[in-house]
Amino acid sequence: MATKRIGQRVRGTTVYLLLSIGALLSVAPYLMTLNAAFKPQSTLLSTQAWTPAAPATWSNFTELWRQYDMSGFIVHTTIVAGVITIGQLVFTTMSAYAFARLDFPGREPLFWGFIAMMMVPQIVTLIPLFLIMSHLQLIDTYRALILPYVFGTPYGIFLVRQYFQTIPADLEAAARIDGAGTWTILRRIMLPLSKPILATLATITFVNTWNGLLWPLMATSSERDEVVTVGIAALQGQFASELHILLPAAAVALLPLVAIFLLFQRHIVRSIALTGLK
Amino acid sequence: MFRRATRKTLALAAAAVSAAGLTSACGGSSGSSGGTVNLTYMIWQTSEEAAYQQSIDVFEKAHPDIHVTIDLVPWAQYWAKLQTSAAGRNMPDVFWDHLEYLPELAKEGIITNIAPDIASSKIDMSQYSSKLVAQWSNGSTVYGLPKDWDTIATIYNAKDLKAAGITPAQLGSLSWNTTDGGTFVRALEKLTVDVTGKHPNEAGFEANHVKQYDIALEAPNGQQDWWDFGVQNGCELQNKPYGTWTVNSAACVQAMQFEQDLMYKWHVAAPGTVTNTPNAAALPQLLAQDTAAITFDGDWDLDTYQSSLPAGSWGVAALPTGPKGSGTVFNGLTDAIYSGTKHPAEAWELEEWLGSAASEKIVTDSGTVWAAIPSLDSGFIAAWKAKGIDVSAFYTGSQGTTIGYPLTTSGTAFTNVVLKDMNQVWLDQMTPQAAANDITTTSNAAAANGD
Amino acid sequence: MSANIAEVATKPPVAAAAPRRARRGRTTLEAYLLIGPSLFGFLAFLVAPVVIVFVLSLFSWNLITSPQFVGLANYRRMFTDSQSWHALLNTAYYVVLNIPLQTVLALLLALALNRRMRGTRFFRVVFVLPWMAMPVALGVIWNWIFDPRSGIIDHIISMLGFTGPNWLTSSTWAMPVVASVNVWQYTGYTMLFLLAGLQAIPQQVYEAAALDGVNAWQRFFRITLPLLRPSMFFVLVTNVIGSFQQFDTVFVMTQGGPGQSTTTLNYYIYQQAFQLFHAGYAATLSILLFAVILLVTIVQFRYFRKRTIYDFS
Repeated sequence: MATKRIGQRVRGTTVYLLLSIGALLSVAPYLMTLNAAFKPQSTLLSTQAWTPAAPATWSNFTELWRQYDMSGFIVHTTIVAGVITIGQLVFTTMSAYAFARLDFPGREPLFWGFIAMMMVPQIVTLIPLFLIMSHLQLIDTYRALILPYVFGTPYGIFLVRQYFQTIPADLEAAARIDGAGTWTILRRIMLPLSKPILATLATITFVNTWNGLLWPLMATSSERDEVVTVGIAALQGQFASELHILLPAAAVALLPLVAIFLLFQRHIVRSIALTGLK
Repeated sequence: MFRRATRKTLALAAAAVSAAGLTSACGGSSGSSGGTVNLTYMIWQTSEEAAYQQSIDVFEKAHPDIHVTIDLVPWAQYWAKLQTSAAGRNMPDVFWDHLEYLPELAKEGIITNIAPDIASSKIDMSQYSSKLVAQWSNGSTVYGLPKDWDTIATIYNAKDLKAAGITPAQLGSLSWNTTDGGTFVRALEKLTVDVTGKHPNEAGFEANHVKQYDIALEAPNGQQDWWDFGVQNGCELQNKPYGTWTVNSAACVQAMQFEQDLMYKWHVAAPGTVTNTPNAAALPQLLAQDTAAITFDGDWDLDTYQSSLPAGSWGVAALPTGPKGSGTVFNGLTDAIYSGTKHPAEAWELEEWLGSAASEKIVTDSGTVWAAIPSLDSGFIAAWKAKGIDVSAFYTGSQGTTIGYPLTTSGTAFTNVVLKDMNQVWLDQMTPQAAANDITTTSNAAAANGD
Repeated sequence: MSANIAEVATKPPVAAAAPRRARRGRTTLEAYLLIGPSLFGFLAFLVAPVVIVFVLSLFSWNLITSPQFVGLANYRRMFTDSQSWHALLNTAYYVVLNIPLQTVLALLLALALNRRMRGTRFFRVVFVLPWMAMPVALGVIWNWIFDPRSGIIDHIISMLGFTGPNWLTSSTWAMPVVASVNVWQYTGYTMLFLLAGLQAIPQQVYEAAALDGVNAWQRFFRITLPLLRPSMFFVLVTNVIGSFQQFDTVFVMTQGGPGQSTTTLNYYIYQQAFQLFHAGYAATLSILLFAVILLVTIVQFRYFRKRTIYDFS
């Protein structure tokens, strides 16, 4: 009895220890970025990345803001990611509902068409997309950044459709007997039950848009609409000299997502628990 | 109920779309609004943006009807973006051009021949360095007003130099040869130390446990390493501009061999595992970390050394001389005008301003880059003297024997094969002769294919 | 993102209460109104570019000149181009390095976090944080971490009395480094899906097994793993597709080097299109990549379909 309890305790401690190491590995690159961002420029390259920033200084951040329109980058990225996220939430909910619950001619081929498009490598569609946007005279506008993604992605539609299928159909049937139309059902029954998956979709969309580099790099060229990844890529062209600027910029670019995730984490973990087993 | 729900959903959707529309209502690149002409000026060097912005501020004051937007795109993505925008016929009005890409752009008629504008605006081309003008002209056509030049020099860590008992003047007057390495290799041996404190010319030196190498040589295409040894050995990369590649000539192969020997015979240069691009740490970083005591580098990196090394801890010296004397790669940029620009007159005005002595003085006096107008170069030296660095070695280099960038329409193919093969050479996994043969054949084939 | 395709394994949706009589027409109209915006975006910004890619694959085009029709020349070139096969092999190597390690680690994490103990929520959140890291922002830190002279990894190795390799300039180590960065980024995200699968296994199954005197190993291999199959399928299909499309880490850390050692097919496509400006050939290569992904996905479907005993949908 006693040995078994000790054995359990040892095992429990080992699990905690390993989990803690894993957790440390997970956050170490973030912490190193943050730590190095507070080092004075003179010691940045001559000290190790993990040596604590002592004395810590805000001067890199003030320098960053003095030299670069960091606020502008953040605002532009927030606008683009925000609009795309809202658009995707609305349009994805609509089409996912149709695919999940309505019986209409062409549903299967359309659905599998969406799925197949997920397997297309995105790199080479950059050139055609640029040609289309040039033709529409939209290069270097917010529309060029937003339009390709605002109507939803196959992945998002699929994710939400899977979730809708877990919602019992009798709820709907009852509402239909009461004379409720599709829109009412969508709004009154599906949406309240779908908050977790929509939070997940919002996070995934926001993260992907926030982190995307190549399309914004190609599609924009003025400080009017340049996003944060493009700004950071510009700094990276200058690796060593701008390190004291690049690191705080990286920290500023990374942290908003962490904040958003912490805000939504409860929903995300739960919604994946509800859909992921399919 | 149905109505309200619909309206609300639609309103949300409409909001999303119209936000996309509204926020970009002011869009349209290089368009004109309210009588103001908007020009886009694309550049790649972050450290030069401030100086050019300063110059453009002056330009805009003199031309209130022209607004210039600088589009900064890092070198790594610059040409990808430029060619994609060429495909969409949506290029920046004016942009930095490089000799590696000039021939292709010129051949396809993407950039403007500015010879007529030069004539009508009566620009005195003799004010520019004649080497630059020659590089950027082809017969009677001219593709841009020279805006700057660059050369390669030795950058050293002052403390290491002192410890080895070498003065900067001595460092600047070394010479190398292919038999015993010459005074250059002797000096480098003093600067290389293994973990036990031994030098490569001493018994018991451990080549696998080097604490600090003397020299770090790193370049994706050769501009900061074997091209320089090459010009010091009489190597010509091509038989003539736009001609055939001659990288497999004896003079060039010897230069590559010498650099490989520095790594694996004399053990004084950091091997390819430390310096191979694109994955290695940058040269200023290698110097700041004390991985190497000296490097060969271009003046465009001066700012980087200045910000990553403590003041007074580094300096600039001349390159060594080789069997055929001194020599360095000499290169320069121009501003190109997109042939499809909607505002050719305004674009030319910008070009004319950027190539003027007034603008080049603003840029060079800030220590940003050497001016293409030689009389202004004292301003660059003065700017760096104020920061405590004597940069005259770059200038001396530019006045001696130089080699320019090869002029060819197969530039991208050449760069690609050089990177691939020379990385092997620097790992001691390929002989210089084999690499030179492959580079020559591949590049000549690409030139013949118009690839 | 690695989770790129969702669980295609599921059956077609259970049709909701079958629409009655004359309502069918209205339902169709409603359905198309609902999918309308997505369908528009899908056709204009996904299908149209893909069609253009197919057309481009028949042309030679450097983006500057007007495209030249070359028939199947790009396809012939693809089959004789040793670099394209090298890139395909590199991609396979990357997938082999990445997928098993990531999946096993994620499974172990999920098992550990499926226990009733304090702090599981904290760990769950922390492990997912790497997933949202902006590759371009972390690039500089990765290069720093793997720097053979001042990086933390070689620092630890040398404290143990060994000398670490030059991670990123060695053609042997560069690909494992790239793979390990991806394992770092996506293990936690994968873990979430597996954890969800574990939590969906009814407790009664375990209770019944306990009565039969099943030991821990048997419990894992005979109950947990088979019942986890649907989640596992989802995770594998999405991650394999994501891995075949690997681009970000290579782009930020190695640019395909040293030599060709980390040039994955997707990166090779980028090089051809945006560094050598062979847009037509790049289009052809991307069709190859698409075909490979399609094939691998179909194989996975077959395998899992056949062996899925429990159907949870």
